[in-house]
Amino acid sequence: MAKSATLGEMLAQRGISRRSFMKFCAATASLMALPPGMAPGMAAALAQAKRPSVIWLSFQECTGCTESLTRSHSPTLEGMIFDLISLDYHHTLQAAAGFQAEEAREHAMKEFDGQYLLVVDGSIPVADDGIYSTIAGISNKDMLIESAQGAAAIIAVGTCAAFGGIPKANPNPTGAVAVSDLIKDKPIVNVSGCPPIPVVITGVLAHFLTFGSLPALDHLGRPKAFFGESIHDRCYRRPFYDQGKFAKTFDDEGARNGWCLYELGCKGPTTYNACATVKWNAGTSFPIESGHGCLGCSEPDFWDKGSFYRPLSTGEWGTGAGIAAAVAAGAAIGAGAALMSRRRQEAIAKEK
Amino acid sequence: MSAAKSQTEKHPLDTDSPRFSIKKPKVRYDKQGDMPDDQRVATAMRHFVRDFGATAAVYMESCIHCGLCAEACHYYVQTADPKYTPIWKLEPFKQAYKREYGPFSFFYRALNLKSPVTVGELQEWQELIYDSCTLCGRCTMVCPMGIDIATLVGQARHGMFQAGLVPHELWAVAERAEKEGSPLGATPKVFKDRIEWLADDHEVDIPVDEDQADIMISMSSIEIMKYPESIVATAKVLNKLGAKWTIRLDGYEATNFGMLSGNTAWQKDMSMKLINAAIACKAKILILPECGHAYGALRWQGANIYGKPLPFRVMHISEFLAENLKNGKLQVKKVDKSITFHDPCQVSRRGGATQAPRDVLDTLGVELREMKDTGALNWCCGGGGGVVTIHRADDLRYKVFQIKMKQVDDTAAEMLVTSCSNCRQTFDDGQAHFKWDKTANSLLELVADNLVD
Amino acid sequence: MDLLDFARGPALQWSLYILVIGVAWRLIGVLLLRRKADHSEPRSTATARGALFTIWRRMWPRKEFQARTVYGQTVGYVFHIGLALVVFGFVPHILFIKDLTGLSWPGLPSNVVYLIGVVTLAALILALVRRMTHPVLRLLSNFDDYFSWIVTTLPVLTGLLAVAHLGARYETLLAIHILSVELLFVWFPFGKLMHAILFAFSRGSTGALFARRGAST
Repeated sequence: MAKSATLGEMLAQRGISRRSFMKFCAATASLMALPPGMAPGMAAALAQAKRPSVIWLSFQECTGCTESLTRSHSPTLEGMIFDLISLDYHHTLQAAAGFQAEEAREHAMKEFDGQYLLVVDGSIPVADDGIYSTIAGISNKDMLIESAQGAAAIIAVGTCAAFGGIPKANPNPTGAVAVSDLIKDKPIVNVSGCPPIPVVITGVLAHFLTFGSLPALDHLGRPKAFFGESIHDRCYRRPFYDQGKFAKTFDDEGARNGWCLYELGCKGPTTYNACATVKWNAGTSFPIESGHGCLGCSEPDFWDKGSFYRPLSTGEWGTGAGIAAAVAAGAAIGAGAALMSRRRQEAIAKEK
Repeated sequence: MSAAKSQTEKHPLDTDSPRFSIKKPKVRYDKQGDMPDDQRVATAMRHFVRDFGATAAVYMESCIHCGLCAEACHYYVQTADPKYTPIWKLEPFKQAYKREYGPFSFFYRALNLKSPVTVGELQEWQELIYDSCTLCGRCTMVCPMGIDIATLVGQARHGMFQAGLVPHELWAVAERAEKEGSPLGATPKVFKDRIEWLADDHEVDIPVDEDQADIMISMSSIEIMKYPESIVATAKVLNKLGAKWTIRLDGYEATNFGMLSGNTAWQKDMSMKLINAAIACKAKILILPECGHAYGALRWQGANIYGKPLPFRVMHISEFLAENLKNGKLQVKKVDKSITFHDPCQVSRRGGATQAPRDVLDTLGVELREMKDTGALNWCCGGGGGVVTIHRADDLRYKVFQIKMKQVDDTAAEMLVTSCSNCRQTFDDGQAHFKWDKTANSLLELVADNLVD
Repeated sequence: MDLLDFARGPALQWSLYILVIGVAWRLIGVLLLRRKADHSEPRSTATARGALFTIWRRMWPRKEFQARTVYGQTVGYVFHIGLALVVFGFVPHILFIKDLTGLSWPGLPSNVVYLIGVVTLAALILALVRRMTHPVLRLLSNFDDYFSWIVTTLPVLTGLLAVAHLGARYETLLAIHILSVELLFVWFPFGKLMHAILFAFSRGSTGALFARRGAST
C-alpha cells in the first residue's frame, strides 16, 4: 500500500511502458468523449496523481460486477486501473480475511478521511433491521452509512447498487434498496448494468483521477458519456428495424440474417448503456450481436417490467377471460338501458 | 316563453363567429292552440319518444357531422345557408333521443350533457322541418353513414304537430282534409258532381261505388280540383283494358295531409278510408294516382297502419301502366318527341318505382333524354311534403326550382313529363313565376291520349 | 412504477375494460330497442344482400354528388387509410394486436410507416381546418367533433414525436404515446368514434329498407 509514490513512479516501477500508459489515456479519453487533445493532459495529470484509496463494499450482490471487471486473459485497460488506484478493501480480490481485513478498511477510512472513494456493489437489504446481509456482524446498511461518512464520492457499481437490482424484484423479501435510497449527502455515480461494462467503471474512475470530479450525470445519476444514448439508437441492427425486418424466433431465417430482435422482446429502445458501441470483452460482442434481445439491465426495476421475451409494444392488459367478462357486463348494462327506455316509451304511448 | 331576441343580443345563428355548440336559426313561427309553452315542449318530447325505435336510434347515434348531406339538399345548394343542412333539421329530435331514449340517456339527464329541448328551439325549427324539407330523401342517398334523414324528419313532424307548431296553412289544409275528406274542398259531393260532368263531357264510363271490383282507383284532390283530365285518362285506360274497376266515394282521397303535417291519428284515418273502401269492394288492386306522397303513404306505410299485410296489391298508376304496356294488354301509338322525365321523389327514389315510367316512355317510342342527375338521384321539384302549401316559403321554393329549370333546359328536350300532380302543380307555379317555356305534362295523360283504338 | 410502466400496465388494462364495456353497452343498448314489423308487400326479399351492398356502396359517394363532396371525402380517406396503414402496418403495433388477439400479419418497413404518419397528420390538420372554416361544419360541430379529433390526432402526433425523439426522453414520449392511445380507447364508446362500428348498422338498415322497396341504395 505505497502511498507516497506517484502513479507515474508506480507504473515505471511495475514496468508499464510509457507507450502503454499513453494508449490507456488516449483510449479512456476517447471513451469519455473528451477531445483527443486531452490525452496528453490526462497522462500528465495521472502521472502526477497520488493513487487514491478505494474501498470496495460488496453487499447483496452476486459478484458479477467484480467478475466483469476482472475478466481478463491479457493486460487490458480494465486491469490497468488497479495500477492507478489503491484498492484497500475488496472481498474477492484482497488477500486478507477476517478481522484483519476489517481493520484494513477502518484504517484506510481513518487515514484518508474525506478523500477515499467508496465503491459499492450489491443492493442493501433494510427489512427486519437489515439482518439479511451482514459482514463481520455488521449489517450492510450500517456499514454503508458508516463508510459513506468519510467518502469523497460513492460509485454504485451494478444495477443492484444503483437501483436495487434483482434482490429488489417483486416481492422484494429482503427490503433491498439502492445506495442512493440511503445516502443523500454525498455525490453518487450510478454505474448501472447487470453487470456494467468494465470500461465504464474504469472510465468513471479515470475521470475522477484526472479531473478530481465526477463526470456529467443523467437524471438517474449515470455518466452521460456511457448512458446518454439508448441501445436502439446505436444498435448496428437498427437498419433492419427501419426496414421492418424482424426475427420471429431465435433460429429462423431472420435470426440467422441478423435482423432486429424487437419481436423477441429486445428492450433496446428504452435502455440506456454503452453496449452497442463499446460492447463487451474488449469489444467482442454484446447480447444483441449474439442474437438475444437486450434485457434492459441498466434500467431501474428491469426485472419487474414483464417478460424479457414480450415486445416493448405489448403490455399487461389482464386476461382474455377478464375482457370477455367486461363484454358481458357491458352487454348486460346495455340491455338494461334498452329495457328501461322501452318501458318509458310504452308508458308514454299509453298516456295518449 | 322566450320573447323574440332583442337587437343588441348576439344572434344565435351567427356563422361569422367561431362556434362550439348548438346555435339556433332565426325564424318566425306559427302556433296552434293555446297550450302553455312548457306543455308544448313536454308534448313534443313525448311524441318524439313515441317514434324512436332501434332503427331511428342507430341513425341518431351514427351521425359524424361530415356535412355531406347539405351538398345533396336543394335548399342548401341554392342558398348556401348552412341552416338548411338536412341533419341539422333533426337537432331537437336528436337532443330528445339522447336525453330520453339512448343507451346513455341516464347520464345525459343526470349530468345535463344535453339540455332539455326548449320551446324556443322547437319554434325556430318549425321552418327547418316544414318550410325547407320536402322529405325528398336525397340526403339519405349521400350520407356516408346511410342515415335515412328524410324518414326521421317525417317522424319529427309528429312531435311538432302535437305541440301545435305546424306552419299554419299546412295545418289548416290537413284539418280540412280530416274533417271534409279533402284538403282542397273535393268533398264526396263535389267529387261526385265532377265525375258526373267529366263522364258526360268526355263520354267515358266512370263506375262509382261498385259493390265489387277488381281494381279500385284513388285520386288526389290536386287532380280532382286542378287536373280533372286525370280522372278521364284513368277511366279511358281502364276501360280500354276491359277491367272491372270502380271509384268509391267512401274512400278516394289519395293525398295524406295527416302524414305531411305530422298527425298520426289523421294519417291513419285518411289511409284507413282507402283501405276500408278497397276491402269493401273486394278489390285486388288499389291504384294510386299521379301523386308522390300518396304512394309512400299507402304502398309502404299503409299495411303498418292497418297492422297486417293488405289484402290487395297497391300500385302507382305509372306501375300499372308499365305492367300493362309491357305485357301488351295495352297498346299505344308512337309519340315522336324528345322527352325528359322528372322523377317524383316519393315514387322513384323513396318508392322504388324508378323504372316503371321509363318502361312506359319506352313503349311510347319517345326519344328519352335523361337529365343529368336522373332516376333515383333526380332533384326534387321543391313542392312536395306540404311545402307548396306554405306561402311564406314561396321565395325559397322558387330558388330551388331553378335547379329543375336548368336540368330540363340542359336536355333540350321538346317535352317535359312527370307522374305526380303535386310536382306538376309546382312546375306550373314555377313556370308562371319565371315565365318559363316548359310545361310539365302528365305521363298518364300522355298514355291515355295515345291509346290505340 | 414509472410513467411507462403505468401506461403499459394498469392504464392499458382499465382503458381496455372501459372500451369493451362501453362499446357493448352502447351497441346492445341501441340494437335491443323496439323494432316494428313491416307488413307492406316487399318488392324484393333480398334485404340482407341490400344491407351488405349498401355497407359497401356508401364507401364513396355516387357520381351525382362527387363534384360537391370530393375534397372532404379525399381528405377523410387520406387520414383514414393513413391511420389504418400506420396502426396495422407498423410492426410494434402488430405485435400489440397479436398480444391481444393472437392475430398477426407481415408489417411495412418502419420508415415507410413514418412517412405515412406524417401524411396522416397533415390530412388530419386539413380536416380540422375544413371543420373550422366550412359554414355547414361550423354550424354542426360540437364538443364531440373537436375532442374526437384531438383524441385521434394525439396518437399520430405523439408517435411521430417518439420516433423523432422530440420534446422529452424517448421512454417518456413512448409512455405518452401509449397513454394517448388509451385515451382514445376510453373515449371511443362515448363519442362519434363509435361510427367505426355503427356504420355497418346504419348503412345496413337503410340498405335493407331500400332493397325491400326495390329502391336504389
